[in-house]
Amino acid sequence: MMYEHFDNIVKGITEKLNHDPDGINARKKYVLAISKLGKKLYSRDENIAWCGVTAPFDLLSAMGVTSCFVEFVGAMLSSTDTAGFFLEKAEDAGFATDSCAYHRAVMGAVLENAMPEPDFIIGTSSPCTAGLAIVENFAHQYKKDFFILNVPQNYTKDAVKYLATQLEEMTRFVSDHTKRPLSKQRLSFALENFNTSTSLLKEIYDLARTKPSPVDNKFLKDFGTVVALLMGTKQGIDICRAFKDELARRIKKGLHHASKEKIRLMWIQNRIQYPFPINEMLDDLGAKIVVDELNNVTWEPMDPDNPFESIAKRMISIPFSMGTAERIRQMQNLAKAYRIDGAINPCHWGCRQGTGARGLISKGLKDINVPVLNLEIDCVDSRNLAKGQIETRVEAFIEMLS
Amino acid sequence: MIFLGIDIGSLSCDAVLIDEKKNILSSSVIPTGVNNMEAIARVKKNVLDASGIMEKDISSIISTGYGRTRVKERNGAVTEITCHAKGIKHMIPGTRILIDIGGQDSKAMRLDPDGNVVDFAMNDKCAAGTGRFLEAMARALEVDINELGQLDKGATSDLVLSSMCTVFAESEVVSLIAGGTGQKEIAKGLNRAIAARTNSLVKRVAQDISGLPVAMSGGVARNKGVVKAIARSMNIDKVHTPETPDITGALGAAIIALEKTLQKG
Repeated sequence: MMYEHFDNIVKGITEKLNHDPDGINARKKYVLAISKLGKKLYSRDENIAWCGVTAPFDLLSAMGVTSCFVEFVGAMLSSTDTAGFFLEKAEDAGFATDSCAYHRAVMGAVLENAMPEPDFIIGTSSPCTAGLAIVENFAHQYKKDFFILNVPQNYTKDAVKYLATQLEEMTRFVSDHTKRPLSKQRLSFALENFNTSTSLLKEIYDLARTKPSPVDNKFLKDFGTVVALLMGTKQGIDICRAFKDELARRIKKGLHHASKEKIRLMWIQNRIQYPFPINEMLDDLGAKIVVDELNNVTWEPMDPDNPFESIAKRMISIPFSMGTAERIRQMQNLAKAYRIDGAINPCHWGCRQGTGARGLISKGLKDINVPVLNLEIDCVDSRNLAKGQIETRVEAFIEMLS
Repeated sequence: MIFLGIDIGSLSCDAVLIDEKKNILSSSVIPTGVNNMEAIARVKKNVLDASGIMEKDISSIISTGYGRTRVKERNGAVTEITCHAKGIKHMIPGTRILIDIGGQDSKAMRLDPDGNVVDFAMNDKCAAGTGRFLEAMARALEVDINELGQLDKGATSDLVLSSMCTVFAESEVVSLIAGGTGQKEIAKGLNRAIAARTNSLVKRVAQDISGLPVAMSGGVARNKGVVKAIARSMNIDKVHTPETPDITGALGAAIIALEKTLQKG
């Protein structure tokens, strides 16, 4: 089912792009690349690894492994409005209805054999231990080997060394399963690609910061989290370049959608995945999401001569990896840089990251005069959506900011 | 000039007609029922009939409440958060903390000295602590909803209801009745439970409410037992209530209609 889904998207977008060979078409190229990745995962022509969100996808790519974080599938099922079936299957098997629906949907897919069987699994202790428990479940279900990367919460020399050592161990684990050693040259290429993508990402975010911003409510939706899957590849560079060119074009042509930017917003964590017209609602209210918390470059360039330490530093620098205080500091910096008027925290149900820190996040942003709306919404399970209540909260928040 | 505010909630549909000096010309509160379009037409007819004003004389209509987009003839729709704040500013000037317990939503709002909303919090998805909750409890106690507010008079125990889920609380009330607990003791326990929930909402918008006048709007503000329990829970002398708390949202909507018209010139 999922292979056909990705295949249909690939065919449809490829046809559209063929009709417009000179266009930038950033978002289409991005969806195409992600769908191709989906196809690869489900065709099983290469070694496959299911991973945690913060896994080193560039390193895995350099080792010839097609890898992806499991929440990607949960989001995909939700966006196609098919998550309900798999959520019920997981619930039938005893998974609590108030657990994270990203993980529950994916667990249902595993139970229904709708997930491609991996060769091995790389779990990460960041961003959440629920995700770690789910991939451990996968390992049990598929009877596959499971490697855990324990990501420290502090950015210290010892912490970096600790994680770098684990990454070296992980490459040995991967080599044992793929029967291929790590090629230093391929890793260097992957890291160079990553660095080029990072430079382009910085340019994208610089352009997005412009006031009025050239982004619309959908343009950079969940971009930082998902593009990480591609950043060690040439394809990742192409995608990032297309986004940068698209934003530059919009600024040059004055396509700022300024009328829809009376209120500039920051979205905290991930967006709502199923069809729910919040972007259109914000458009109508003259509000624009100009920055997502996770659309941020928090790392230094990768050093091909010191790859494991570089990747370790990057993994620790991601907002979810470090403690809440550091996460709030990064959010405050974004709020100031993007000159936002308010922030929306969906407080995804069952999510430690989303709900656990909400009081501290609200306070941290209020301290710099940025009001926060806590939505209390399940971003994946549309069965839990109370549409009217969410609309009232969002509208009232925008009225308040206006 | 005449302005109409319509507040279409899950339990009641309210309308207020005002003139350009914000004088209330007429108001009406009716049950929404299952057909909110019918309720809108009826409540509008009520206020027009009561005031003798013709529909063509209305300069602007603002709708609010969960069914605000169902009012076809509206000139604009504004959320009940903003409308209740606007309404209470007119009814009880100087209010800084506003509590509105509606049919399916409970809300706490912090207002600035000019009556603008600077923060708000709403109940979680369940109906616990809302008007719908009270309706269910009145049913379980076999009393009219209007009697519930006086029912706790003379209660002496400190009964604590263990469940605040509407469904579970209803069965708990039934069990208490079966166990011989008196109606007034149960009513007091219910009021305390709602007050605890409401106080928690207020704390989300203002940790320290000292010196901030607190008012309550919405139909549940007619329930004296709940209002007193909230005041006790918040450790304050009084929660102020308007004479007609159920029309606060509709009045706010009518005032916004007036202000928007004046802004346009």
